[in-house]
Amino acid sequence: MSIPFLRRLGLTVSLCASAALAQAENWPAADWAVGITPTGAAVEAFEAYSFPPRDDANPVGVRTDAVLVIRDGKVIYERYAGPTKASTPHLTWSVSKSLIAAVMGVAYAEGRFKLSDPVAMHYPPFAAHPHIKMGHLFNWASGLDWQEDYELAPLRSSVVAMLYTRGRDDMAAFTAAHQQEAEPGTRFRYSSGDSTVIAATLKSMVGEQAYADYPWTALFEPLGITSAVWESDPTGTFVGSSYAYMTARDLARVGLLMARGGRWQDQQLLPEAWVNFNLTPFADFKALTPNEEVPGGQWWLNVAFEGAPKPWPDVPPTAFAALGHWGQSLYVLPEQDLVIVRYADDRDGSYQHNEFLKRALAAFAGEAQP
Amino acid sequence: MIKRHPFLSLLMLGLLVLLGLAWPNRVHLAAFPEIISAYTAKEYCSCRYVMDNPAEYCVSYASQYIPLSGFFDDAQSKRVTASGLGRSSTAVWIGPREGCRLQEQADELPH
Repeated sequence: MSIPFLRRLGLTVSLCASAALAQAENWPAADWAVGITPTGAAVEAFEAYSFPPRDDANPVGVRTDAVLVIRDGKVIYERYAGPTKASTPHLTWSVSKSLIAAVMGVAYAEGRFKLSDPVAMHYPPFAAHPHIKMGHLFNWASGLDWQEDYELAPLRSSVVAMLYTRGRDDMAAFTAAHQQEAEPGTRFRYSSGDSTVIAATLKSMVGEQAYADYPWTALFEPLGITSAVWESDPTGTFVGSSYAYMTARDLARVGLLMARGGRWQDQQLLPEAWVNFNLTPFADFKALTPNEEVPGGQWWLNVAFEGAPKPWPDVPPTAFAALGHWGQSLYVLPEQDLVIVRYADDRDGSYQHNEFLKRALAAFAGEAQP
Repeated sequence: MIKRHPFLSLLMLGLLVLLGLAWPNRVHLAAFPEIISAYTAKEYCSCRYVMDNPAEYCVSYASQYIPLSGFFDDAQSKRVTASGLGRSSTAVWIGPREGCRLQEQADELPH
């Protein structure tokens, strides 16, 4: 046999193999494919924790609105409660922060900014803070004097003022007016201001005209997301910290994109370097309380870091999440090929990520284990 | 003064302490009363017109510890006005992608 023939044979074999590989990977089309829903004691234990009897007049305890579990790119579990339905574009609260990071990942791929750029280069009111760089915002490390408390200290809360009172007319400018308290890049302090400034920087990067549609053209449409709503302030700046809405089925698409390293089918929508940045712990992070999730680039990580054990002890360290107020969660467990969306209306602190995920793993990851 | 007006003196002292506590927080205190109406108008509007939840559910969803003195959901034009602590706020549904936004001026509540 001639060498060219062998070479052609080899090429054919490898093409077939890659075709088989591509076929083995499931992706949602207009809707998700549905797989077999597991049953049994582990699923019952998961439901007992996630969906206890619910009283909307007296909102206490675990109050799950939706759970959607995707394994190997197919829906294997889906349940709604309260007023939430499969068609409800649910408020994601601070899951929005991870969504704006994904939107910015596309802008990053288009070469519109670098993490080392001063924020002021893209958002002029930050001329008052010339040393804050884009990367610092993503790590919540601007060093600005920001107070994130909601219910506990509403009087001095920066986020309440930003969303509802003094800051609401121009949320990014309100953030920019905060004092520099720590050296940029040296201190983690969770801040909805940092996330909203990220959304404001995008405006000059893509231009005012394209800005209003950019989350859709850059991210939602390529992923097949059709239910998204993103509220903005009167200057048109997306409330990047708090006000994105979509159905559970649509949010799971962002989870699958992240689970597969930023790739959507055969398109590398978010560069690998971007996803790596999202999932790298902020170097100067020190956990102040036990079980504090480790901040990456607008995502939360379950890694043991700087002597602190991993925040969710019963969950693999490769897991990561987008987390929001009142229990909104997008969990990604790449090792188990699981994406889990949880929408909720938890009004007290009784819900525990670790307990939920421990039971979810027992219920939904079992058969995937060799 | 203290001997002749012990209660008045105590009251004055109390007022001074309160003023001392309030002064550094004056910006926050001035904005604070608006939280009740603004939060309720905005979160009710989004609950009702973005998430499409039933009106009754949205009332309890957007309620707070401090009761409202007035509330009006103009379903026709999707404008939601709430009043509390002497302030009023209006949130308006703008569009299917844009959702709701607080307005600079609150609408008058219908009598």
